[in-house]
Amino acid sequence: MNDFLALIARHGYALVSAVVLAESIGLPMPAALALVTGGAAAAAGILSAPMLLLLGTVAMLLGDSLLYVLGRYMGWGLLGFLCRVSVNPETCILRSAESFYKRGKITLVIAKFIPGVNTMAPPLAGSMKMRFLQFLRLDLAGATLYVAAYLALGFLFRDFLKTIMRGFLTARHALTAVLLIALLAYVVYRVWLFRKYVVYRVVPRVQVQELAQKLASEQNGRILIVDVRSHGYYDAGTERIKGSIRLEPNNLSDELKTLPKNKDIYLYCT
Amino acid sequence: MAHLLREKGFNAFVIVGGLAAWRKAGEALEPVPKDDLVKLPTFS
Repeated sequence: MNDFLALIARHGYALVSAVVLAESIGLPMPAALALVTGGAAAAAGILSAPMLLLLGTVAMLLGDSLLYVLGRYMGWGLLGFLCRVSVNPETCILRSAESFYKRGKITLVIAKFIPGVNTMAPPLAGSMKMRFLQFLRLDLAGATLYVAAYLALGFLFRDFLKTIMRGFLTARHALTAVLLIALLAYVVYRVWLFRKYVVYRVVPRVQVQELAQKLASEQNGRILIVDVRSHGYYDAGTERIKGSIRLEPNNLSDELKTLPKNKDIYLYCT
Repeated sequence: MAHLLREKGFNAFVIVGGLAAWRKAGEALEPVPKDDLVKLPTFS
């Protein structure tokens, strides 16, 4: 326990800042846990709560600003990259875009608390050309809220955390077993998710040449080609397959009402 | 999305390779109409 507290006392600010910065740029780091620990350390008088709040917020702003700038210049390519670790990349992007649709600018303030949207919000704001000062203002509010909330959690529940820490040190073996079980459960969960989304791959596919032949034949009256690219894939002067219609993926329930059921529908994206 | 459409009773298919494959095959393209370039929230 003393070793751990000494580590926190010596490197606490740097550790918390680094973990928060790493998570804000999309790395799988437990920023919330680091902040809760920092809050508990502040309650024990080891670290300063205002300093943790300042450093945590600045670290988060730095990471978010980096993603904002990258999103501005790389567009949805970056979003696709960030979503690549997701089980269903398209859903990952759409979920973030949908959040902006529903909540607009306020998304940036609450994004940190929404798994899957937290890392996507800054680059999405960048790709949607939000003004940088406006982004900074909203992101500052969101980062401050997030950092303060978890610091406060650690501050208020410091005794509980202390109990956990004491238990951790006295029952290392048991905890190792628990961690292994948790890791195994996580792997099983990922496999389950993977199998769940495999179903999306059983949809019939058609090669370009085959479809072009159908279009040139008498069957063309039964064919409807549908462009399902998300907004971010559209640039000025962009093209689409001739004769295709647009279907907005983020507004699917309304869009489906306009689709005919007596035609073969061929979907495409980028 | 194609899976979702099939669940709703539509006879949906996916074009392998999407727009890139269509373009590479030299098939016909057209500019996206301005009305279809729907904007996300503008943040202005």
